Amino acid sequence: MIGRRAADLLQRELPGAVLRSADAYGEQTVWISRERLVEACTLLRDHEEGRYTVPQFVTAVDWPDREPEEPRFDVVYQLRSLHYNDWCRLIVQVTEDDPTVPTLERVFAGMDWLEREMWDLLGVKAEGHHDLQRLLMPVDWDGHPLRKDYVSFGEPVAFTHNIEWALPEAERPPILPGESR
Amino acid sequence: MTTAGPIGPPPKVDPLSDQYEHGRDVLGVETGLDSVDLVELDENTMELNMGPQHPSTHGVLRLVLNLDGEIVRECRPDIGYLHTGFEKDFERHTYQQCIPYTDRMDYLSPLFNNLGFSLAAEKLLDIEVPPRGQYLRVILCELTRIASHLLWYGTSALDLGATSPFLYAWRDREKLLDINELVSGVRMHTSFIRVGGLLADVPDDFNELIIEVLATFPRLIDEHELLITKNPIWRERTIGLGTLTPEDAMSYGATGPVLRGSGIPYDLRKAQPYSSYDHFDFDVPIGAHGDVYDRYLVRMQEMRESLRIIEQAFNNLPDGPVNTSDRRVALPSRNELNTSMESLIYHFKLVTEGFRPPRGQVYSAVESPRGELGFYMVSDGSNRPYRCKVRAPSFSNLSALPHMVRHELIADVVAVIGSIDIILGDVDR
Repeated sequence: MIGRRAADLLQRELPGAVLRSADAYGEQTVWISRERLVEACTLLRDHEEGRYTVPQFVTAVDWPDREPEEPRFDVVYQLRSLHYNDWCRLIVQVTEDDPTVPTLERVFAGMDWLEREMWDLLGVKAEGHHDLQRLLMPVDWDGHPLRKDYVSFGEPVAFTHNIEWALPEAERPPILPGESR
Repeated sequence: MTTAGPIGPPPKVDPLSDQYEHGRDVLGVETGLDSVDLVELDENTMELNMGPQHPSTHGVLRLVLNLDGEIVRECRPDIGYLHTGFEKDFERHTYQQCIPYTDRMDYLSPLFNNLGFSLAAEKLLDIEVPPRGQYLRVILCELTRIASHLLWYGTSALDLGATSPFLYAWRDREKLLDINELVSGVRMHTSFIRVGGLLADVPDDFNELIIEVLATFPRLIDEHELLITKNPIWRERTIGLGTLTPEDAMSYGATGPVLRGSGIPYDLRKAQPYSSYDHFDFDVPIGAHGDVYDRYLVRMQEMRESLRIIEQAFNNLPDGPVNTSDRRVALPSRNELNTSMESLIYHFKLVTEGFRPPRGQVYSAVESPRGELGFYMVSDGSNRPYRCKVRAPSFSNLSALPHMVRHELIADVVAVIGSIDIILGDVDR
């Protein structure tokens, strides 16, 4: 099982940091509390039984249709351990009002760009990052393209399946089909 | 606004002297430059823009270099000129429709992108491709790896002023693209690997071409090595340059020949085999010093190892179907369409609507010529990926560039960029 090593290590060394843990498709996923993320990643990197020294990627998944009390963003971290030939997935959930995570650029040098990309495309801020600028989009770009409520092209044309677009503005339903793509 | 004095050349004000006012041009006219953040310069440094239209940046990479004489004090890469929003496109297309998009990310090794995406989707669906399909995937991917390394070899030698390797590399790469053309009709963006298998089985002429490649390429690779491996100029320009220690390589998330050049024998084909790679016997070449020359040696050796893999896969190529028979993905056969109305309807639905993997999240990675190419795929049970993040090897490798070129000569920056083997389509996606 991929990631079991990291899950066991975190359960044992930092029991308060692990919110829950689940496995599916042969991959173990660990949900970590935001406050203890840096601590958990440092432990995974430095502990003799972990040695998760390679940052694979960082990204976020936007779930705008979740219940209001549930956080909107899943921030996904994946670290690889070359020594034990394993990788692990950590998820930190953040809300729409406060989409910030602590920066990991002092834990892994490669996090610098990965966190900038996440801020650029999904609007999840890495707090404490030394230079949090847009990376892929132009510096004066509006919005964060990989959010689900970002309309990726102009005004849709009304067909039978989205005939609501043809209604006058006052009569349109609040959420139109095809508005979030 | 002051009047612009007598006509003639404006009085020269040394920009570094006390008289020089930022925000006013030499005639004292307001230029609005006050709003621009002027970089603090001392007498010895200079900001230099390299790219985006620079022949040695392999596409559209812009580097802002802070120079002290010819020494690079700081390097800030500016990427995103080729950002196309493929990850957003994935969310609007069915799984099979995403395959042509993946071709265009790392456009020099399109089959690896196809394979990475297909493996992730197949993991979600819990599908296994038949052995013949897996072996053909391996053969085609390894051919692509050789083609990609040949292109890298030619262009990175061209960056340092050696023109002939480029011509020889192009001559040989052509033969590999001919194989692509034979099997799929397209030379580069083949989209040949699909979710559930391949577009089709390979034609009969395929065997001849592979036998020819296996017979001629060892000698051709020797020829390439003869051109530059022991060339004193090449060695002078590359040995000891752009050194990356194993610790730094890991911390930056570098993978592929950049990581292996630093002496870490980590190759996903060996470490976490996919698509029957565990059936083949091959070595993982590594470097000793982590410099530009070591990365060159690693790639040249990898081409020979790829030939070994192709030979084994080709000699043991099993018979049988190339596509899965799982009816969630597989299209009904022509014969069924002629006899069964339901099959025809199902065929139509599968092409127009696509298949629906169960909810979940998976990560699947392949060893592309540039390193670990991973696809993190989230499914919400619909016929499109809810989110598909591409872990691009060039992106992480390039993020180590500022570290590698610090305190090197500006003329060596192109050698280091060449040695990372970046593809900007892969970096920006």
